[in-house]
Formats: sequence, C-alpha cells, structure tokens
Amino acid sequence: MTDFNTIIEAIDSSLNSMMPHSAAVLVECILAAVCAIGAYLVFAIIMIYMERKVCAAFQCRVGPDRVGKWGILQVFSDVFKMLIKEIIDIKNSDRILYNLAPFLVVMSSLITFSCLPFARGLQVLDFNIGIFFIMAASSFGILGILLAGWSSNNKFSMIGAIRSGGQMISYELSMGLSILTLVVLSGSMQISELVEDQTRGWFIFRGHIPAVIAFIMYIISGNAETNRAPFDLPEAESELTAGFHTEYSGMGFGLFYVAEFMNMFIIAGIASTIFLGGWAPFYISGLDGFNEAMCWIPGIVWFLGKTFFVIWLLMWIRWTFPRLRIDQVLVLEWKYMVPIGLLNLLIMTICVVMGWTF
Amino acid sequence: MSFKNTYIGTIVYAVKSLATGMKVTLCEFFTRKVTEHYPENRKTLKISDRHRGVLVMPHDDEGNNKCIACGLCQMTCPNGTISITTKSVTDEETGKSKKVLVEYNYDLGACMFCQLCVNACPKGAIEFSNEFENAVFDRKKLVLKLNK
Amino acid sequence: MMEVTFVEIEEFRSTMIHLHRKGMDFLREMIGMDWNEEGLGAIYILENSDTHECTEIAVRTTDRENPELPSVSDLWMVAEFYEREVFDFYGIRFTGHHDLRRLFLRKDWVGHPLRKDYDTSEEINPIRMESEPVEEFSREYDIKDDKELAEKVEKLKILHYDQYTVNIGPQHPATHGVLHFHLSLEGEEVRKVDIHCGYIHRGIEKLCESRTYPQTLAFTDRLDYLSAHQNRHALCMCIENAMGLEVTERVQYIRTIMDELQRIDSHLLMYSCMAMDMGAITGFIYGFREREKILDIMEEVTGGRLIQNYNVIGGVQADITPGFAQKVKEYCNDQKKRIREYYDVFVNNVIFTNRAKGVGVLTRNDAISFGATGGTGRASGWACDVRKRHPYAMYGKVDFKEIIHTGGDSYDRLLVRLEEIMQSIHIIEQLIDNIPEGDFRTKTKPIIKLPEGRFTASVEGSRGEFGVFIESRGDKTPYRMKFRPTGLPLIAAAHKIMKGCKIADLITIGASLDYVIPDIDR
Repeated sequence: MTDFNTIIEAIDSSLNSMMPHSAAVLVECILAAVCAIGAYLVFAIIMIYMERKVCAAFQCRVGPDRVGKWGILQVFSDVFKMLIKEIIDIKNSDRILYNLAPFLVVMSSLITFSCLPFARGLQVLDFNIGIFFIMAASSFGILGILLAGWSSNNKFSMIGAIRSGGQMISYELSMGLSILTLVVLSGSMQISELVEDQTRGWFIFRGHIPAVIAFIMYIISGNAETNRAPFDLPEAESELTAGFHTEYSGMGFGLFYVAEFMNMFIIAGIASTIFLGGWAPFYISGLDGFNEAMCWIPGIVWFLGKTFFVIWLLMWIRWTFPRLRIDQVLVLEWKYMVPIGLLNLLIMTICVVMGWTF
Repeated sequence: MSFKNTYIGTIVYAVKSLATGMKVTLCEFFTRKVTEHYPENRKTLKISDRHRGVLVMPHDDEGNNKCIACGLCQMTCPNGTISITTKSVTDEETGKSKKVLVEYNYDLGACMFCQLCVNACPKGAIEFSNEFENAVFDRKKLVLKLNK
Repeated sequence: MMEVTFVEIEEFRSTMIHLHRKGMDFLREMIGMDWNEEGLGAIYILENSDTHECTEIAVRTTDRENPELPSVSDLWMVAEFYEREVFDFYGIRFTGHHDLRRLFLRKDWVGHPLRKDYDTSEEINPIRMESEPVEEFSREYDIKDDKELAEKVEKLKILHYDQYTVNIGPQHPATHGVLHFHLSLEGEEVRKVDIHCGYIHRGIEKLCESRTYPQTLAFTDRLDYLSAHQNRHALCMCIENAMGLEVTERVQYIRTIMDELQRIDSHLLMYSCMAMDMGAITGFIYGFREREKILDIMEEVTGGRLIQNYNVIGGVQADITPGFAQKVKEYCNDQKKRIREYYDVFVNNVIFTNRAKGVGVLTRNDAISFGATGGTGRASGWACDVRKRHPYAMYGKVDFKEIIHTGGDSYDRLLVRLEEIMQSIHIIEQLIDNIPEGDFRTKTKPIIKLPEGRFTASVEGSRGEFGVFIESRGDKTPYRMKFRPTGLPLIAAAHKIMKGCKIADLITIGASLDYVIPDIDR
C-alpha cells in the first residue's frame, strides 16, 4: 500500500534544500491549499452530477442527458449560468454580512474537508484532537446560514435561519455522542491513528451492535447537519420558497449550493473514516490471502469508494422521505436520539471494558 | 396501552415504516425509466388524431377546398378567431350570384380549441390537425390564412 | 325547472333562522341576481344534510343605489364568503356581515360588474399598473336605529402592523396557483389568516351572459381543470334537462366512465402534490407516472390532456375509440397494483403520518356549515357525495361505496382520495364491458334556446359538488349563469382550520383540502 508520507517528505526536503525553512513552509501551505481547493471543486462537480443522476434513478427518470454525453457537462453549464446571472442588490439588507455569509459557509466546509484522510499520509491537518477539530470547524458553518437569513431582510430567510439554528445546535449533540462512542472504542482522537487502527478490522464490525446504532445515529444527525431532506426545513421549498438563501442569486447561491454538497461529502467522508475504516482495506482476520489481495487496491480508492457509498445512502434517504416539521425534528433529537445515544455510549463503554469487542 | 404507543413501540413502528419506504425506492432505482426522449422520439411519437393542434382547411389535389363561405364558423366562434372575406360571383351557366371565399383568416393565438367551428361547418371544410409544435417568436405569425 | 320562493326582506331573516332550525344546515349555493327593475337580490339553495330535501329561497330589494340585505353568515359559515362575492359582483351590502370586503376584484374597482347596468368601458376601470394595497381593516355594515346605513370601518383590524406578517402567495410553490395567504405569525405558529382570492378571476359568469349555450361549454373546462369532464357534464346535463333532451344510454355510460377517469386523475394529482408539498418528491413522481397513463387514454379519446372539450349538448364530441375499453382495463389493473406503492413510500411513512394526523381538523358540523363537500366533507364524516345523494347518469345503477372517514384531519382527507381511486376503478370495471350500442350524440337544432325559467344541475366533481344554475329568459344566451365553485367553501373552511397551526401545517392543510384556484376565482 502506497504511503503518501514518503512522497510528502520528499517534497518537503527538496523544498527545504532550495529555500529557507520559513519560505518552504509558506510554499507548502500554498500547495496544500491549492490541492485542497482543487479537490474540493472536483468533488463538488462529481457530487452535483451524481445527485442529479441518482435522484432521477430513484424517481424513474433518466436525469440530465442533453449537455454532453450522458449529460456530463450539465454541471459546467449550470456553473456558467450562475456566473452570468445578475447579482441583485437587496434593499435594506446588511451589505457586509450578506456578502460574507456564503464565504463563511464555504470556509467552514473547506477547513473540515482538509481534515479528511484520503489515503495513508494524504491529509492536510492531522493532530491529536482531530475529531474535536472537525466537529468545531463543521459547526461554524451555521454562522453563515444564520447571517444569510438575518441580513437578507426577508422574512422567509429569517424563519429559515431560525429553524436552521435550532436544528443544527440540537443535532450537534447526537452527532458528538455517536462519534464519542467510536472514540471510546478506538481510544484515540487522532484521525490518522483511528484509521490505522482499522486496518485490522473496521470499527463498524469490531464494535458490532453499539457501533451500528452509532452509525445510524450519525447518518441521521449528519443529514440534519447538512440541511438535507428530510431535514431540509431551513430551505423547505414548499414552505419558505428557498429559506435562508431566498435572496441570493448568481454565485452567492452557487456557494451555498456547493457548500451543501461538500458538507454531504464531508459527512460521508467522516462516516467512512471512523466507521468504515477510511482508506483501510477490507480485513477479515484469519484469511491472509484475501487480506493481501485487498491491500493491492490503493487506499484512496477504498476511501472514495466508501465515501461515495455513504453519499449514495444519504441520497437514497433524501429521495425517499417527506420533510419533518420543526417540532418533530426537535422531538426526534431530544426524545429519541439523545437518550439512545447516551445509552449507546454506555453500552459501548461496557463492551470495551469487558472486552466484548473484536 | 398497546405496544405501538409505547416508547419502544414507536421506534420499532417508525423504523419499519421508513424501511418499507426505502425498499420501494430501492426497487424503483433498478426498474426501467419512464422518461420520454422528446424531441429525439419525434418519429415514433404518437399524437392522437383527435388532438386539436391547429385549424386547417384540407385541399384536394387540384387545390380546391370545400368551403362555401357561409360564415357559420365565424359566427359560432366565441373569440372572434376566424374572419372570412367573401365576394359575390355570378355563375355563368345558371346566372345566379354565389358567395365565394376570398380569404379565410384564423388567429391561432386567440383560439380556445372549442371545436364549435368544426361542428358548425355544414360541409366539413375545416378540421383540426394534430400538429402541436406551434410556437413562434412573433404573435403576428399566428394569424394564418387557411385557404390556398 | 326550479321553483323559487320569494320572501320579503323583513321576513327573510326569520325565515332563514326557521329553516336552519328545521335542519336545512347545508347552504348549497347562493346566487346573486340582478332582475333589472324587479331589483337586486340573491337566491339561496338550502339542503337538509340528512334527508337531502332542498328549498330555494330568494330575496330582493328594489333599491339600486344602496341595496342591502340581511346577512346569514352567522347561520351558515360559508355565507361569509358567498356574501362577499355577491357584494363584489352586485354591490349588495349585507347588514350584520362582519367583514364585507370585495372577494375577487380589486379594492379600487369601480362598479359591480354583474349588474345589468354595469358600464364596461375602459375609462372607468383602466388597467392599473400599481399593485393593490393590502387592506388593513375590515368593513362592517349595520343598520342603526334610525334605519340609516352606517359604515363601521376599522371595527376589526385584519392584521396589525406590529405583528410579524408573512405573505404566502400569490406566487408561492405551495399555494397551487395564485392564492394569497396573509399570515400573522408568532414564531412558527400562525395566529391569523387572511385569504385573498381573485388573482385569476376571469369573469366567466359575466362572459357567459353574452355567449350562446354551446359557447359557454368551453368555459367549464377552464374552471376546475382537474374535473373538466364533470364540470362540462353538469352544464350539458343542465341544458339538456331544460331543453327536455334525452341522451342515449351509450352517452350516459361514456360520460360516467370519463368522469371517473377524471376523478382518478385528479385524486392522483392530489396525492402527488401533497407528497410534493411535504417534501417527498419521489412520491410525487410516482403518482404522476400513473396519471400520465390516464392522460394518454384521455388524449386518444378526447384529443386533449387537460382541456378535453368532450361533452357537448346532446352527447359527446366523438365516439370512443376501438381500443378504449382494452386500454382502460389495462390501466385499471396496473393502477390497482401501483397504489400499494403510494402507501409504502408516502402515506404510511411515519414522518407523514405524524405531520398529517390531527392537523387541520374540520368537524362534521363545520364541514356542513362551510359546505365543504367532496373528499374534505367525507373525511369529516359527512356523506355528501352527489352521486349517492342525487344520482345522475349511471351512478344510480352501479355498485360503489361512499368512502367516509371520521377523523376530519389532513390524513383522512388523503385516505379518502386514495380509497376513492379504488372505488372509481370499481365503477369503471362494471361499466367498461357493457357499453351499449347507440348514438354518441343526439342531434340538436343549430341554435339552442332554453325555455324561460330557472334550472340547476349538480354533479360530484373531483373535489366536491359542482353545480350549475341557469336563469333563462327564453333567449339563446343565458340571463344569468352561475357555477357553484367547489373550492370556495374549502377556502372558507381553510380560513378557520388554519388558525393556530404551524407554517408547515398550513402547507399540509392546503394540500389536503385540494383546492384549484381557477375554480375558486372563476
């Protein structure tokens, strides 16, 4: 299995030999940022296309098939359309906050994105409380949504933003609980270590029942965090037309759109990292030949394969269920998810203490 | 209290109902899609013969139509869609004067396709064709002259 | 022919109270009238919801300057909206009505268009380029002790400026057209609803007065476009009855089958749109997939998918096509299997059941008082199906069950529709193989004149009772033609049941009431 650490170290030493240390660090930062943003955009394009095709398949349609072969150029034409759209100035809007909001949302998802381990060593940020960092970074996107709703001077946006706030703050809790359950199992909060640990079996198998429950809880709260159906109350198009981004046109809307999709990618990426082993190949203890064969598949393929599987799962959920009502959202969280999450954490702790995990 | 209303019961029931829904969509994910590929399927597309797309006046091979310029269609039209200009022509053989159609104008843009004109026509001189791609960029182009 | 009892203004109110006490609890129709020199007035068609016996009461006033009649909006809740309509069209002020604003036309409209002396010139009512200001106050008229009319403006504030008001509509994805809910919110909760209609008002009733009878037919398809067949059926039936024209049995069969196909079409659309409004877009597409098949059948037979133009006076426009029966049967078999899918993917879904159960409860008494017929009434436990109450066409001879639920909430309203699809299929299956031979159209004279008198007919439209009223003076055009809208009573009821719900519930209730705006606004 390729270890990207060697490649990265090689780049690092060659840069250091060419220029002073501080300049080398600067160049590395820029390189990493460019790579991250590039990957971010590529994945966004793939995701938007995938969403449209998968959604169509669930609904007995064929989806976009006019622009390019199988409609693969659809996303590019959409982006082009967004770029040439008029940016409308909203009367009495808070100009600075209004323009800042989409960038906050994108920024939060970009920072979280850089924490994802694509393969062994291929990760921008990796330190001992990585999991905490991911949760903190992903949760400040809500700030952008709240500001967007507030600064738009639109009542629909405002209601959407308020809903979004209530929903996100609630679901952070159950998301944290489900991640914590896995942290108990692994005993580490560093992402690279979490994945390394899973090369001898994915956590969802090793943690059996509590891990599966945590996985389901994570998928539900992840859906809620990304404001996707059935939790798309902040933008509920049949109630609030477009919720918090009603007043945005052109690229302002485009950024929200991209951020929403990337948040889904991030949720799926984290799910595959902590539950499905990240870039770790499929491992069954005892079958050495099989494990050997699995190791031939590069880690990045494993990671993306699992991530896109989880994304497909999220899309399947999204295109099946009706939207919840705000009180149902809160009842689901506070009456069901939090108690079950706490109980699950307890069960996992007992399992780990008693050594009932694999 | 039945099991369905207990705390555990609601969870079990909810998960079951959600799972059934997901089963249905998963089945549909793999079934044949129903989208019609218009306009690629123009050749195979079947529009009902009875579809009222646009009013036409059929002409035979020699370019004659059956219209006798009686004006019933014009009279019966609720929207004033049809306007007919006629002239009087004296028949050389019998010496009687007869109304003859000069121009049959039909405004597709104002037509509500109620078929009253076709029903009123005593000679079956006008009918609706199932041509449906009638969009044009200028309203004036919708005023059609039906007779040749 | 309808016999109308004229009552003096002084006795009118006591007569109505008496009738209401006697069990005439369903105000089927209220028809504003202008009898020229005999005065302005209204005809009330009342029905006993248990025995289905009807009474027609009329009242009129000769004062054309300041016409006023006593209001009955306290007896029948739907009269609140009906009276607003009559006020709008005839300028009759109803004393005791607490919110007498125009219903359809703009506030700054000059004159009352359905009066016979109305001036249609454009100088009086030019096309106004500025938008209509939203009214903040309601108006109430009352008679003072000295019998002088007093206008009590500002008695009830409709909405206050200091409330958090939101406009749902006129352009909004969930209003299914151009309806306007003016809401006052407290957080997510709706405190007050004010409904504005008339954005798609085309003055069809006024237009009808200058059209010949065959020409009026085309308008019915454009009222409630999801019950085009039934609407046209009602008008044709009314004219045929007035002319004393018998249609052949074949026509009756065809009309019944087409009515039921249309009903399935409409109910499928209602299910689909409800799913859409609730955010289940996949459920929506599944419903439309099957609806497409009905539309294909309709297109083949009638030539239209939405505006079908099929029933004509004396029969139908064209005979059914040879493959019709086969296609309908295939469709019915397919639909019976597919309906399971709707239950699985949407109706039984726990999210939906929680959102719809107990939301927007309309009690039986309210349903009757609001005249909310159709699926809405039947979900409240009111057996209001015209097909059972006053059977017409083939409905007296076929076997079918009137679906009745008692919950009265949004969930039951959807269930009623889905179960009615099965009943409609059942009706079609009984008829489709036995269509008798015969003419598909009885010849009529080129110019149709109705004898003098008043005529009514009503059918069960896709979303309630659709009625036609014609007053004829023996001409080739009607003196007055009135359509009973199926949607207006629903909107009147929505007004009440939407209070106190959440914004999301408002959408649920709107979707479950299943109104069609062109039918409300006419």
